[in-house]
Amino acid sequence: MIYDLIIIGGGPAGIAAGIYAARKRLNTLLVTKEWGGQITKANEVQNWPGIKSISGLDLIKQMTEHMKSFEIEIRENKEVIDLDKKGDNFTVRDNDEQYEARAVIVASGKMPRTLNIPGEDKFKGRGVSMCATCDAPIFKNKEVAVIGGGNVGFGVAMDLVKYAKKIYILEFFEEMKGDPMTKEKLAQTEKVEFITNAVIKEIKGTKFVESLIYEDRKTSEDKEIKVDGVFISVGMMAKAEFATKLVELNKIGEIVIDKDNYTKTPGLFAAGDITDIKYEQVVIAAGEGAKAALAATEYLGRKE
Amino acid sequence: MIKVYSTPTCPYCVTLKNFLKENNIQFEDIDVSQDEIAAKDMIDRSGQMGVPVIDINGEMVVGFDQEKIKKLLKLTQLT
Repeated sequence: MIYDLIIIGGGPAGIAAGIYAARKRLNTLLVTKEWGGQITKANEVQNWPGIKSISGLDLIKQMTEHMKSFEIEIRENKEVIDLDKKGDNFTVRDNDEQYEARAVIVASGKMPRTLNIPGEDKFKGRGVSMCATCDAPIFKNKEVAVIGGGNVGFGVAMDLVKYAKKIYILEFFEEMKGDPMTKEKLAQTEKVEFITNAVIKEIKGTKFVESLIYEDRKTSEDKEIKVDGVFISVGMMAKAEFATKLVELNKIGEIVIDKDNYTKTPGLFAAGDITDIKYEQVVIAAGEGAKAALAATEYLGRKE
Repeated sequence: MIKVYSTPTCPYCVTLKNFLKENNIQFEDIDVSQDEIAAKDMIDRSGQMGVPVIDINGEMVVGFDQEKIKKLLKLTQLT
């Protein structure tokens, strides 16, 4: 079976592309690891036109149901590991199966950047958290570290001040990059200690996290702080390795596209946060997904 | 006996509770941000610190693991 179009990703960009492709009667398959992604962590979305306020999860649920009302084939819980082109057709492979299509849209978004240090994986859910909104209350009267002194890290720290006894914010650079007003607010709580020039080296513990080791870049000295929790907020990253044979990536790993969502390979399109577009918003990702589906439709029409 | 350990701010806790309600499953809702003893109990028994955790007749399931929860609740033909 050769599909007209395969869409990789089930966030706002992929879903919008799916709706458009199905309405254009393209024989479409959508492959995704999960529904939503980043937006599912948002408690409230207040800038999706037509809905004053909705949780990210509910918004994605509605989008998914909307898409499923059209004729479109779906493979859930599948992570694409390879994308290639043989002759005129593309091959898309996940861990179990391989699919073929005449055109492909990559819309698999961004995921939280990880530190890749010892202990990070081992203690995930055992003190290491990627979701302060979810887990902050568990750290009542405990000592925690926030990795990343940008606005996201500051936001995480703001969630934590309500509960934790002491919060260390560790930043790699000379200065905290987050908003100075938020920094001031955090400082006023007298619970927060700011540490700059810190390279995180290891998260240690037995059953749960017990301490964090970082190197002071100024003195090259290793330091250990006792913490029960580590909140990692060092930004998001595009994960497009599976497509590297066919696309150009910019220096932060995003897929380079033109204004009509074409990548450098004819028939291969990309949309949303995985691309090098500047603004990352649900409404923009959805628009980009729609554009990519329309461009793919046009491309397929020309081939016939 | 079904217990849900959750916090008011966690999106998947809301999803989990809505899922149970949609399937007419009665449960005890434990807010671990208010109840420190319950929080400690949840951490000890699930061996981890994330929410939500659902206790289905003594079996602890971490996160909104729909497949596992359905299986334990014997909900086979539901959404």
